Amino acid sequence: MFRAALVDPQIARASRGLWGDAARRLRRNRPALVGLFCIVLFALAAILAPVISPFDPYAMNGSSLDAPSLTHLFGTDLLGRDIFSRVLYGAQISLFVGVGAVVLALVIGGVLGAIAGGFGGRIDGVIMRATDVFLSIPSILLAIGIVTALGRGMVQLMFAIAVSYAPTFARLLRGSLLALREADYVVAARTIGASRMRILVRHMLPNALTPLIVQATLVLATAIIDIAGLGFLGLGPADPRTPEWGTMLVDARRFMQTAPHIVVFIGGAIVISAIGFNLLGDGLRESLDPKLKR
Amino acid sequence: MSDQHLLEVRDLVVRFRTHDGAVHAVNGVSFDLAAGETLGVAGESGCGKSVTNLAIVGLLPKPAGRVEGGSVKLEGRELTTLKEEELRQVRGSEIAMIFQDPMTSLNPVLRIEEQLIETIQAHREVTKEAARTRAIELLTAVGVANPESRLRSYPHEFSGGMRQRVMIAMALALEPRVLIADEPTTALDVTIQAQVLDLLRRLTEERGTATILVTHDLGVLAGMADRVNVMYAGAVIESGTTDDLFANPRHPYTVGLLRSIPRLDGETGGKLVPIEGRPPDLIDAPVGCSFYARCAWRTDRCATETPALLPIDGGKGPIVTSGPAATHVAACFNPVAPEEVAEGRPLRRSGGATR
Ligand SMILES: Nc1ncnc2c1ncn2[C@@H]1O[C@H](COP(=O)(O)OP(=O)(O)O)[C@@H](O)[C@H]1O
Ligand code: SF4
Ligand SMILES: [Mg+2]
Repeated sequence: MFRAALVDPQIARASRGLWGDAARRLRRNRPALVGLFCIVLFALAAILAPVISPFDPYAMNGSSLDAPSLTHLFGTDLLGRDIFSRVLYGAQISLFVGVGAVVLALVIGGVLGAIAGGFGGRIDGVIMRATDVFLSIPSILLAIGIVTALGRGMVQLMFAIAVSYAPTFARLLRGSLLALREADYVVAARTIGASRMRILVRHMLPNALTPLIVQATLVLATAIIDIAGLGFLGLGPADPRTPEWGTMLVDARRFMQTAPHIVVFIGGAIVISAIGFNLLGDGLRESLDPKLKR
Repeated sequence: MSDQHLLEVRDLVVRFRTHDGAVHAVNGVSFDLAAGETLGVAGESGCGKSVTNLAIVGLLPKPAGRVEGGSVKLEGRELTTLKEEELRQVRGSEIAMIFQDPMTSLNPVLRIEEQLIETIQAHREVTKEAARTRAIELLTAVGVANPESRLRSYPHEFSGGMRQRVMIAMALALEPRVLIADEPTTALDVTIQAQVLDLLRRLTEERGTATILVTHDLGVLAGMADRVNVMYAGAVIESGTTDDLFANPRHPYTVGLLRSIPRLDGETGGKLVPIEGRPPDLIDAPVGCSFYARCAWRTDRCATETPALLPIDGGKGPIVTSGPAATHVAACFNPVAPEEVAEGRPLRRSGGATR
């Protein structure tokens, strides 16, 4: 009599796993799909730049300031370089520096946040006061300071942006971990005698990762803008010929009257990639949150 | 009878330091638990049931909550002074715990398999394969159909009742001596509640696991518990075998609790009488009887003196603290007389029943 009642009344829904569910929800989110499309475009441009670029981005291939044509899709710049090719290579630089900076920021911020939130106490206080100091400085200003101090260059650029975003990640992870400390399943894990390290690594960190992933994609958007911004301020890659979007924009600005298309194409590339990461970030936030089921 | 119980809690005092002052959550709780026994704990929400249990296993929320007095002994070994690492060995393998909300007690990002195996491997040097086999046994024991395939599921793919079964499987994985079940079925549907309680009783009986079953539902205790502690404002105010307590409640609060639940025999004509008023604010240190403000039997003495937990028959012979012959004790200067129980009010001018 009880046997029958003991059998699970629900036929189990096929197990797609956590990420499977998230992917399914993401597919139904139109803005996120638009974002994903922009990012795919951006990533393809970056990765395939050497293959699809019609011209060498450093070489003179036409006359100065040509209008867009079939040969030069986006026209040429003052030195007669093909802007389409330069935009493609610029995507590569933005992606490389941006992803590098965000990964570095995630590592620095993640380790600091995990220590602060996982162990608490005095070490937590010290780390949080330090992040307070960094967060009180606007990130672009901090990056300017670091590049000025370390000198210009791609690696310095990456490091500067990483340092300015690491405190955000540290705070975010610490906050999630603190909230999770009182989570029932964490207390439950403690009641079965799981060790502190194990609880932090197995139970708390994986559950605290979602906001971090979302934040990382959003930060990637701002990082791409920051890279362009620093380039615009003359703090981009050391070699002024490098096809970095911000640096290119400064040059193009001078011909806004005569050849406005240059600014439009470069600005458009920056906008599309930044919007892409923003939309995807928002979509991820919604689809990864297990509380927003179906 | 042996003079050492499986679990002995003596004069346990727990305070929380908050911005508003110290919360007197547990104020001198004492009880014993013998091997294989099921002790029910009843009382309104906020009376200190959960805090008592958390203090026993050393899981009070830090740094606010602290054991400020008393002792907890498991087989004679003091737990309140153990180091965290030693306590970790005790938790799970000797004392296990099940919580109220099965929706949130399982980690949402780990498969059931990983959580069960982790529990087993936290205390036993076994291979993953052996742990997996054991996990399947356990799921079968708690009545999960197709345990092999269900092991691969995530918690959100289980219903509430199924999750609580998994929690029970996890709690019993290491054959603990003591199981603390804190409102294990409160979050479940009534029909599922009965199934889960039935399962819990069967498994703890089979394994001889001593159980502390916390619930605010006295009806559940009538069917499950050998003995019952009734708690109020952080203290045990009446204790005895389930039969004694239900047949002959003596503390006005216990009488109130019993009158506020539906009775299976329908004797009170189905009329439920809630207890008037609210429990006292535990920020203030208790003065006099903590039930004073809500008690119809109160006398002047109750306002200033704190009644001790004493045998209701006036105390001839030694007090037995566990087992089927446990002494019925109550903390009240003016215990409720048998003829007053059904009325729910004193049939005398003021207080006055003699011990
Ligand atoms: N973390 C905490 N901080 C402050 N007070 C607490 C905390 N946890 C519990 N308390 C207080 O301790 C008292 C007992 O709570 P609890 O044991 O959870 O009651 P219950 O009997 O419903 O399980 C309550 O008055 C509650 O407000
Ligand atoms: S009669 Fe007095 S001692 Fe007994 S419960 Fe009422 S107030 Fe407390
Ligand atoms: Mg409780």
